[in-house]
Formats: sequence, C-alpha cells, structure tokens
Amino acid sequence: MARFHPEPEHLLQFAQGSLALSESLIIAAHCDMCTRCQQIVHQHTSILSAEIFDFPVTGEPDPARFDSMFEHITQLPPLKGKIAPTPAQTSIELDGKRFPLPLTLQRILCKTGSWSGLVGKLWQAPVDLDTTGLATFIYMGRGGTVPEHTHRGTEYTLVLDGEFCDELNRYRTGDFISMSHEHIHSPHSDSLDGCLVFSVLDQPLHFTSGLARLLNPFSHLFFR
Amino acid sequence: MLVGIPLEQSNSAVKPKECATEMSDYIVKVAETRCKRSFARVFGYFAPRLRSYALKQMGNEALAMELVQDTMSNVWQKAHLFNASKGSPSTWIFTIARNIRFDMLRKLQNRKEDVCSDDFWPVLCEQTADANEKPLDEQITLEQIGFMFEDLPVKQKAVIEAIYIDGKSQQEVADELSIPLGTVKSRTRLALQRLKGMLHDHG
Repeated sequence: MARFHPEPEHLLQFAQGSLALSESLIIAAHCDMCTRCQQIVHQHTSILSAEIFDFPVTGEPDPARFDSMFEHITQLPPLKGKIAPTPAQTSIELDGKRFPLPLTLQRILCKTGSWSGLVGKLWQAPVDLDTTGLATFIYMGRGGTVPEHTHRGTEYTLVLDGEFCDELNRYRTGDFISMSHEHIHSPHSDSLDGCLVFSVLDQPLHFTSGLARLLNPFSHLFFR
Repeated sequence: MLVGIPLEQSNSAVKPKECATEMSDYIVKVAETRCKRSFARVFGYFAPRLRSYALKQMGNEALAMELVQDTMSNVWQKAHLFNASKGSPSTWIFTIARNIRFDMLRKLQNRKEDVCSDDFWPVLCEQTADANEKPLDEQITLEQIGFMFEDLPVKQKAVIEAIYIDGKSQQEVADELSIPLGTVKSRTRLALQRLKGMLHDHG
C-alpha cells in the first residue's frame, strides 16, 4: 500500500486531461498500483462528466451541420476496439532479476532505450516520449546511491519495485514522490534486490556536492 | 433531415444522471443492431453538449466540431465497448472526448503520435501494445569520470578542479593562478569539450 500519493489537485487535472503527457503517464502508472488514487480519479471523472454535460445548451450552430454530421457518422462501419497482442514483455529484467511493471509502463516499454550505467551502481534507460521533459527508468543496485542533487524543475518518481530512502523519508513500492528545487537529497537503496523507479523530469538534475558536481555539465547527456 | 429521424432533446434541461439508464439502453441497441433511431437519441442529447465543452477547450468552431464528430463517430463505431457497469454513458462519452482532445492538442503542437492518450487512458482499447527490451550495455561510473578527469592536461585539470570540486568562481581561479579570466574560460571550455568527447567515445 503506497504511503505517498500525487496531490489531490494533480489527480483532478489528470482526470481533466490537462497534464502534460509525461505527467499523465506517471500518474496513470501510480493508479495502476494504487486503488485509492484509482478510485479518486474515477470519482473525479464521473463528477466532471456530470458537470460538463449538465447545462442547458445555448448558441447552437446551424442544425443542418449536425444533420450532415449524423448522416456521415451513421455511414461508418462498426469497429473492433484496438486489440493489441499481449505485450511480449511485462517486466524488466536487470541483473538477473525480474521486475514486473504496471500496465501503463508495459505499453511504453517499446519506447525505452538501452540501459547505461551512471554513477555508483546506478543504471538508467531513457523513454522516448517526444516531449520537452525527460522520462527514464532508473535502477539502483543494492547499496547504490545518487550523488546529492537538487532539481531545476520538478521531478516525479514512482517506486516500481523495492525501496529507497533519502534524508527525508523511506519510499516503498507504489510510492509517488514529487521533488522540486526546494529539495536537496541524495537517494540510496539498501534493499536486497535494489530498487527500480520510473522518473519524469522537466530539467536535468543539478548535482550539489564533491566530484559529482563535475557531472553537472553532462547531466543532459545522462538524463536524456 | 435524418432519414425521418428527428434530432430531439438537444435543448432539453434533462440532466445526464436523469437519462443515464435510457442512454445506456440506446447505446446497447446501437451495439447490437446498429439502430440509427437509438443513435439519433444519443447524438441529439450529447452532440450539442459536446460542442459547448469543445468550444471552451479548443476555442474555435472548426476544431470544436471536429472534436464532436470524432467523439460521436467513436460512440457509433465502438458502442460494443461501452460497459454500463463501469460507468454512466456521460462518463464514457466524456472520457472519449477528453482523449481525443488531448491527442488533438498534441497534434497541433506537432508532436509525434506514437504515444497517445490510449496509453494511459485505455478507454477504447482492450489490450496493451507489444513491448520489447534492450540489453544492458554502456557503463560509465563515477570512478571512470575520475579517470577521464585524470587524463586531462595538467593546466585544464587545475581549472576544472578549482571550479567543479572546490566550487570557486572563474574570476577567483584567474586571480589565484595569476592568469587572465579569458584563459580560465577557454581552459574550462576545452576541458569540458574533451570530457564530452571521452563520454561520447565511451557510449
């Protein structure tokens, strides 16, 4: 059971469809893992639909336009829903271990690039979403740490498997974490099988300490 | 005129909740028998309401009507995917419209369409896309960054060390080493270019 969830406002915006693609993806993935948020989104959606359709309609266009639209639509044949094959891969295999993924992320596995090593037992695979923000899978091996850093923009992280902690908290499977420039932290994982997270970032990390500061000019290479 | 079917109800003040059961039955009839008369009732109620929503969202009549048309086409063509136990007709139709709107806006921003709303709101599909996985490769560790750093020419290394490890400003480094600021800047740039090259060779 997740302990950290998206803000209520965030869930509402997700239901409205007003969030960016990458944010929508990570919230959908969290909802796959969290029945509480799934229900909240469901409630929002049904309230929104009642609001949107609940008013006397004014200022209609020429009724003939609706007539011809109706004519056009009813000529169309019925369509089967998109029935895609069961995904070849429903999990990520790393280090000989298998990490099952929530359904939403299974669908974007085919957009995922190859894994590359970062600093200290840290691996990442970028997801090509064609958005301004960056989306990546990040794996922290046991004892892996991310050098202390802050965030130029906002970073959302979803714990997919295992757990990690930073100076503020301990995060477990299903937890949704939001980090902004107010937070400086150095996450590390001490769980046996390491920790797999999915992370959405609108700007590169900014490393704040020691030799890792040297990474700053290249962080766009790493987190791209 | 619609093959003798009047489009009624469009101006009625009936709330979506009050006609949910009725609309559900019509959608089921559309799915089972392609009944135009039933679809006319659904269309008559929702199309004008969708247009009002779409006008607010898209801000222009042509795009709004495109959104209405795409949404109602889906209702007609995919009525069999409606499941009354999962939600009311208005919720189902709203989610279809919301997804189409989301994808239309992305298209207007000239985004690739290989990731779309169906990926996180699978309203009109029943299964998932296929997936693949790429092997582990490439490895750059902090230690390797350290080695690359060691490979830098001595003068460049001194500048990088002072700036990135000791956290000094370029002016402070210039003063300390008694060299012009311009020289510090060019050494920093050369060193970073070199490190970047090494990282690329690596990847």
